[in-house]
Amino acid sequence: MSIFAPVTRRQRLLPLSTAQWAAWTAAILVIALVPLGYTDQYILSIIVTALILVILNSSWNFLLGMAGVWNFGQLAIYACGGYGAGLLILEWGVPAWAALFAGGAIASAVSILLAFPTLRLYGIYTSLLTFSFAEVILFVILNDNTGTTGGPFGLDFVNGLYPSLSPLASMRAYYWTALLVAVLTLAAIAAVMQTRFGMALRAVRDSLPYGAARGISALRYRVLAFGFSGFIAGIAGALYTDFNNTIQPSVMGLTPMSIYVTMLVVGGLGTVLGPVLGTAILVTLQTLLVDHPGIELTILGSALLVIVVFFPRGLVGEAASLSRRFSAWLGEEEVAGEEQSTP
Amino acid sequence: MTDLVAILVSGVILGSVYALVAIGMTLVYGILRVLDMSQGSMVMAGGFAGWAVLTSWGLNPLVALLFAFAITFGLGVATQLVSVQPLLGRTGVDFEMITFITTFAVATVIQNVALEVFGPRQKDVPPIIGGTVNIYHGVSISMQSILMAIVSIAIIGLLGAFIARSRYGVAIRAVAQDLDAARLMAVPVRGMFPIVMGFASALAGVAGVFLGALYFASPTTGELPLLIALIVVIFGGLGSLLGTIYAAYAIGLIQSSVSVEIGTQWAFPVLYAVILAVLVVRPQGLAGRPSEARL
Repeated sequence: MSIFAPVTRRQRLLPLSTAQWAAWTAAILVIALVPLGYTDQYILSIIVTALILVILNSSWNFLLGMAGVWNFGQLAIYACGGYGAGLLILEWGVPAWAALFAGGAIASAVSILLAFPTLRLYGIYTSLLTFSFAEVILFVILNDNTGTTGGPFGLDFVNGLYPSLSPLASMRAYYWTALLVAVLTLAAIAAVMQTRFGMALRAVRDSLPYGAARGISALRYRVLAFGFSGFIAGIAGALYTDFNNTIQPSVMGLTPMSIYVTMLVVGGLGTVLGPVLGTAILVTLQTLLVDHPGIELTILGSALLVIVVFFPRGLVGEAASLSRRFSAWLGEEEVAGEEQSTP
Repeated sequence: MTDLVAILVSGVILGSVYALVAIGMTLVYGILRVLDMSQGSMVMAGGFAGWAVLTSWGLNPLVALLFAFAITFGLGVATQLVSVQPLLGRTGVDFEMITFITTFAVATVIQNVALEVFGPRQKDVPPIIGGTVNIYHGVSISMQSILMAIVSIAIIGLLGAFIARSRYGVAIRAVAQDLDAARLMAVPVRGMFPIVMGFASALAGVAGVFLGALYFASPTTGELPLLIALIVVIFGGLGSLLGTIYAAYAIGLIQSSVSVEIGTQWAFPVLYAVILAVLVVRPQGLAGRPSEARL
């Protein structure tokens, strides 16, 4: 038995009923309307940052939870997107919108390059190699004295997507941009998981020998997964640079990594909505404890420990498993007398 | 010639300390199949323990080493009990990966408790002994570095003798070879795990006192030793003690030669390129054996 939900083939790309479509559309519309009525710049900027994190965490979750590749170098890929977009804007005067996609493409390329040595390994060596990849990228940027990346100070004065708008209008514009990208990311990941590609990834995740025996090339699909996930992470990084007009090496490192891993694990690895829930909970917690960074991270670390030990599926995973057991129980009532075995 | 002597001397000194940090990691991995990500924070805790004894209480340096050893031993045992012991024998989870995350969580907690208690400022840990020795034209090393290398080699030698000769060491090797067979031979496996992890952490704690004097003690000083230990264990092969020792000296020599000949900021990229090359040719590290699922 795996901690992940069983793999079942569904017919449509987004397996939602009409009522669910309506509910999701309504929920997204309500979230989109928030900045029209509510104009506190501080809170709005926290929400935009959280939305960017949702994009990053979803891309990471795609590799960790859905493809089952224990990649701990995703923050370096994210930074590649952010630095790539920032340098394109600053050095070559590339338009910010083009740089956004270029950042995604750069990150995707780096991610695919990282995939080849990584996928030669298995188990703990995968996490070791990717983790040290991220640390080395961080180290190189911190000690860069050529002036390209700005060393520990990062890139400054990057003109974002909306340089000509007033502060409030540009905040709203970023809010909607980040929301749009986050929704598209989640929809894309949910849809990809229903395609041949997603099915193959999950099959190989759950049992590599079985997948290989059914003719699935683990290498090919996992390299594709690195590329896909890297692209999304790169877009998130470029959005970060655009929104903050700057990017520093502090977006990487152990502290952000422990926060984002906690978000993923609390929400539930391998679920589409897990990163959203985890990010929402932890960003709220961070905002409340903003004056006590030490206490905040101590709580985060302890929460991560408790969740991993007692609820390894995460909140969304546990809820989904509960609801599956509940409907199985209802089903048993209906077909009383028939033999039903639940593991 | 001066360069060569400098490279050799600093390579051997760095290698000895790296071996001290990395050997704990490989010991824990060999026995528990846990990659102990809290090893870096043990280096940091050892640094603070040494700082407290040497500056605040003004006691003998030997006391500082023993105190750091005791503190990090306790921390290591606690880490194991909290983050690894509850997961032993758990089905449906990937034990190696899940403990990678839980020990990482413990490291986060330790690091941030230190941040709350000691604050973010760097503390200067005084050297255990002062003075420098001129060993060759223009190449001089501090007594502290020599002592660091000597103590590291002595501890590794003691550990080797302990594992090779003592009854307990034989039990440790038995568990590393075959857990179930060891259990059948009445080795108290479960009770042994916390103690092994305590020892591994204590080695890192002792290294922390020396590294703290070489650099300084602050809540984030554990990150670099952790990264180096990771590179060393990948290079040497997880779970292989001899491989780890060779790898530690190889990494120390590569780092010092790159630092002297090309520049300090290139040391890590070159090291990373080296381990990439090693892993592409030998995915199990230099001396590692293919791992198999256990526990």
